[in-house]
Amino acid sequence: MGQAQTSNRRMIWTIGGGKGGSGKSFITVNLGICLSRLGIQVLLIDADLGGANLHTFLGISPPALSLSDFIKKRVSHLHDVLIPTSVPNLQLLTGAQDLLNAADAKSVQKRKLARSIQGLEGDIILVDLGAGNSVSVLDFFLMSDGGILVVTPEPTSIENTYRFLKSAFYRRLKQSVSSAAVKALIDDAMDRKNERGIQTPYDLAQAAMRMDEDDARRMVEEAGTFHPNLILNQVRSKKDIEIGFSIRSACLKYFGMHLHYLGYVVYDQDVSHSIRRRRPLVLENPRSRAAQCVMEIASKLAGRH
Amino acid sequence: MKAIKDQTYYEILEVSPAATSKEIQKAYERAKETFHVDSVAIYSLYSEKEVKEIEEAVEEAYRILMDESSRRSYDQTHSRTLGEQPPEKPSETQVASREKRAPLSFTDLSFHAEMKRYRGSELKQLRERMGLELQTLSKETKISLKILESLEEESFDKLPALVYLKGFLKSYAQCLGLDPQKVVEGYLESMGESKNK
Repeated sequence: MGQAQTSNRRMIWTIGGGKGGSGKSFITVNLGICLSRLGIQVLLIDADLGGANLHTFLGISPPALSLSDFIKKRVSHLHDVLIPTSVPNLQLLTGAQDLLNAADAKSVQKRKLARSIQGLEGDIILVDLGAGNSVSVLDFFLMSDGGILVVTPEPTSIENTYRFLKSAFYRRLKQSVSSAAVKALIDDAMDRKNERGIQTPYDLAQAAMRMDEDDARRMVEEAGTFHPNLILNQVRSKKDIEIGFSIRSACLKYFGMHLHYLGYVVYDQDVSHSIRRRRPLVLENPRSRAAQCVMEIASKLAGRH
Repeated sequence: MKAIKDQTYYEILEVSPAATSKEIQKAYERAKETFHVDSVAIYSLYSEKEVKEIEEAVEEAYRILMDESSRRSYDQTHSRTLGEQPPEKPSETQVASREKRAPLSFTDLSFHAEMKRYRGSELKQLRERMGLELQTLSKETKISLKILESLEEESFDKLPALVYLKGFLKSYAQCLGLDPQKVVEGYLESMGESKNK
């Protein structure tokens, strides 16, 4: 996942983060609508293979075709599964809500899905990832032009986010090195109780340096090019907003990575009202405070496109 | 990816080697807000020992960089790490005009450590550390010298009515790059306590 490009090419943004209920789907749908209203062709992809419900956020009944039809080879092209929405410039690819074991789809199928997503047409593709740190979720997150973490200002959400970030970070480092011994070292480092006493990415780089200097250098370079993004959701105070800046600072000190704080969305009762009505907030109540926050984030993303 | 012990004081506070005292003060307060054992933002990321190590490094960096002569000598001894030439500090006028021109952006939201009270003496100390003369502050804020002196000396009987005092405190805080709300609340709290004694 490199830094977001500024050229006018198709971009893929994945929306993830460790914790369920942090608002990933709400943000994906509403960001998608805001971007499409700016004249950008947007595709929403529900890659939460175990709990897809972007269609519900959009007020659409479960469509006849979904990702599971592609995974099960009932359709040969991913674009055959795309459905239009009532919002101009916005299409949806629904998740595998009818397939109980879709989350366990074989990794080869998931890789094929990732490749097919990269081949889709559109200006911006927003991929809503499921919760958790499974390898497939991490790979989806890493394949994109920009991974967006959605976090709420609570210890549980922050803890899961760091766990997710650490997993994605180490996986990315592992992909960047060539020596089998260093790859094994990175695997060991994932366990905080590892016998080598590696606690931080810095310890890992030092240990790698003793094994293979080139790989160690590659790891440090890779850390410097990893620029995930952060959206803080359900903030209730100025102090909550500041947590985003503190997370950015902590990531720089701990991982040596530059996390980009994209923005925040305030806690707003209108959000839950809009979800209950199955009407996206930015359409239902565009003047609400939360909708204004989403619009601001969307304009930043549009600026990067 | 560097251990905290290998980072320069500028890296620890996440400021440029050309940072002004005001920028260092802000960065220090942000770091204090971020790195303490009860901070939600670093929950589960660091051990208590690691947090203590960062806290100590932040204090040390702040102590050296806020003292003009210590900073100069640090810059000279670390010129290779910081760049070939020790950074040239911008003049007060340059800084003031740069800060006035810069629009308030999302990232400019100020962060300030939990300081329960902002006593007059503390405000004075902060101002002096930033090398800001009382006359300059008076010019910038359009608050008379007498009022500023009373404010810093906590001569509460010489201060204006509460509504005006709040406005003055806000202007004072803004000029120092502090959070106006926290300064007003902190100052009034300490004023209330003194009056109750």
